[in-house]
Amino acid sequence: MRIKAKAKDGVVTVKAMMKHPMLSYDIAKKKGKEANFIVHISGKVDGKDVYDASTSQFLSKNPYIKFQFKGEAGKELELSWVDLKGNTKSKKAKIK
Amino acid sequence: MERRKFLGLGLGAAAISLAPVSALAKNYRKELPKVWSIKNKDKADDLSGVNEAIKAVFGSDKTEDGKIKLKAPDIAENGAVVPVSFSLEKATKVALFQSADPEALVAIWDIPEVGIPNYSVRIKLKKTGTVVVVAEVDGKLYRAQKDVKVTAGGCGG
Repeated sequence: MRIKAKAKDGVVTVKAMMKHPMLSYDIAKKKGKEANFIVHISGKVDGKDVYDASTSQFLSKNPYIKFQFKGEAGKELELSWVDLKGNTKSKKAKIK
Repeated sequence: MERRKFLGLGLGAAAISLAPVSALAKNYRKELPKVWSIKNKDKADDLSGVNEAIKAVFGSDKTEDGKIKLKAPDIAENGAVVPVSFSLEKATKVALFQSADPEALVAIWDIPEVGIPNYSVRIKLKKTGTVVVVAEVDGKLYRAQKDVKVTAGGCGG
């Protein structure tokens, strides 16, 4: 997972890319694999929600997201995802 | 003794069932498991699957125009990676739909208190279709949509 978080005038802009094949039911069937994709992405600062997305098989492979929230530089953003099979990944990034 | 045990269990269960309500973050895969399987119609210009999904997510499909700025390409050369952005001043919940893939719903966002709904994602579109964004603002539903022409499908892998 790659995260860039930048603060300007009290607004934090985050660009993140997650590594995941996002196999939809259609593609999985063709490849003879089981469908699996990220179903929930959450972003937190100091344990408080700053981003919350429930997602489907129709996000692109290695999903890229951009979002904004009110916040300041110096704090730490924690971004996590969970997929259909229950795998999770979490990463922290300092807001610059 | 038996009775005391039973009461204790009851209290524990009540505490657990209250917990997800107090937390703002919602995993809609768990909260609304059925909405993700609402099918699109075979013809991508038939938005009845999308409308059905909107009703299932928001409880109504009565929407107004305005408030949402939606950005998506007129023509997508690669349906596997179609950039979609939307922005509004504020919202409590936003959902993204399309009419080109087998199912209509793409994503649901709960906008946290500090959240600014100026979001981007990249999605797959199997064929030419319509991208629809619906947002809940002050208890009202707003809708924006855009047709995207896909020259190479995105679900073929």
